[in-house]
Amino acid sequence: MLVFQLLANGLVTGCAYALVALGFALIYNTTHIFHIAHGAVYAVAAYLFYSFHMLWDIPLMGAALLTVGLAAGLGILIDEVIHAPLDRRDSPMLIHLLSSLGLYIAAINAIALLFGSGTKMLSSTDEPTYSAVGVTLTQSQIIIVVVATLLFAGLVILLRQTRLGQRLRAMRDDPELIAVMGVNPRLMRWSVFGLGSALAAAAAVLLGLDLGIDPRIGLTAVLNGAVAVIIGGIGLFESAALGAMLLGLLQSVVVWQASARWEEAVVFGVLIVFLLFRPQGILGTRRRAEEITA
Amino acid sequence: MNYLLHILVLVNIYAVLSLSLNLLVGYAGLLSLCHAAFYGIGAYTGALLMVDAGLGFWSALPLAVVMTVLLSFSISVPALRLKGDYFVLASLGFQGIVFSVLRNWTSLTRGPYGVSGIPQPTFFGIEISSPLAYVFFTGAIALVCVGLLHLIGHSPFGRALKTIREDELAASALGKNVFRLKVKAFAISAGFAAVPGVLLAGYLSYIDPTSFTLLESIFILSIIIIGGTGNTSGPLLGAVLLIFLPEALRFLGVPNAIAANLRQITYGLILIIVLRFRPQGLSGEYRFT
Repeated sequence: MLVFQLLANGLVTGCAYALVALGFALIYNTTHIFHIAHGAVYAVAAYLFYSFHMLWDIPLMGAALLTVGLAAGLGILIDEVIHAPLDRRDSPMLIHLLSSLGLYIAAINAIALLFGSGTKMLSSTDEPTYSAVGVTLTQSQIIIVVVATLLFAGLVILLRQTRLGQRLRAMRDDPELIAVMGVNPRLMRWSVFGLGSALAAAAAVLLGLDLGIDPRIGLTAVLNGAVAVIIGGIGLFESAALGAMLLGLLQSVVVWQASARWEEAVVFGVLIVFLLFRPQGILGTRRRAEEITA
Repeated sequence: MNYLLHILVLVNIYAVLSLSLNLLVGYAGLLSLCHAAFYGIGAYTGALLMVDAGLGFWSALPLAVVMTVLLSFSISVPALRLKGDYFVLASLGFQGIVFSVLRNWTSLTRGPYGVSGIPQPTFFGIEISSPLAYVFFTGAIALVCVGLLHLIGHSPFGRALKTIREDELAASALGKNVFRLKVKAFAISAGFAAVPGVLLAGYLSYIDPTSFTLLESIFILSIIIIGGTGNTSGPLLGAVLLIFLPEALRFLGVPNAIAANLRQITYGLILIIVLRFRPQGLSGEYRFT
């Protein structure tokens, strides 16, 4: 059945978006930085992996781990060089957003300059496919689902069961108070940006293996991730994954009922509908938009 | 020489784009990421009226402005209830939808192929066709728009917007209807953005959706952030700077193939540096708060 196939594809894409969205939520909920450059980290990670794996022949796992590690470092660097200095001057949210945009544009064009703007594949062999109940999935699609689920489970455990998770939740509730509690706020920022960027990098590698990469993937990823966070509910961490799955499913319904061309318009339409009618998201508690922004 | 004239036409076009966005960002303090959408709606309305309905430039222009103003209400009325980053996001959503419609509503807009064969504008019977004529033509229209926007900025309406920017609560305590003023500012800003859209359509005699992307919106916003907002000189300086400066790369012997990317990298970095060290822009009055 075409429907089941499309829904399965939607769930797979949703899994990958979920990682981007979780990373975005980690950063947004704790620092209130609308991190468009999350998309730059995503794209840079994809091209790092391409260089390691395809150009320098590093084996898949090694290249993936190296990519995720470097992306985490890049995320921390972005905070240290761009956002932390702005924060010390108490810059408003919009300045962070614009700086992030500036960085995104510079990074994406640097990538296009180095690698060209065409699509690149991340594996050179044909993939085996698996079929069951009329649904066919490629090997990389199955890897996406498995790895994303494991990473999600790991993140939930980290957030709920560990000291760091407790501090992250405290940071979300009141970023200024954690310094009073004797926690080094700088280290917390490092963990937030490191962890968030690592998640984006994981998604970039996973989705890149399935679909290939080009310099524009970053913006698509960060927009889908941000919309997923809003659908799921800002101020919660895990809800971003729910938002991403719903977004993935919705996109496959659009492909089924209309055409893939309208995918993007529907994502933005959903964004506006949620902003207007349910700014707290599906799982969020009832608060007015003004309170959440403040 | 023709190349220099082309750059001058672009400066004229971007001067109007940036000053019209300035009314929103610099005066009313509203950051919007959908200015290219209005630029595009204006360009497409004008182009389709000229090509499909056979209207002349001078009747298509005001109709395009009216159309853009009307469509601006569809986003401003609901979204202006939102604050801060939520409004920015809503404007981003609108930008995405408009671009998608321009690209996908093929029966009306011809989709990715764009609209071609747009006739040249005439001015009192003289057809504007040489590059030099275009510099003067767009320059004259830009001058009128810039003048009008300057007057609007210095009118009681402009001052009321500045009050909103500084303190919304105080503005409503003074009896100003904040919501209505914002909607009005949004409509005026959108209407003025339609003018360079129609100019572009006539100048290139061809338009396609790729001129009106989110990145274009960000570019226009960068112009006024870098130049400075809240007055007339800032956005103008920004437009001149961001159109001219990257073109200098060409004269430094940078090959064409990489010039486009280098241009974007340059302005991305300038944006970061200006925000970091001079958040009011090079010649602006308003500092984002």
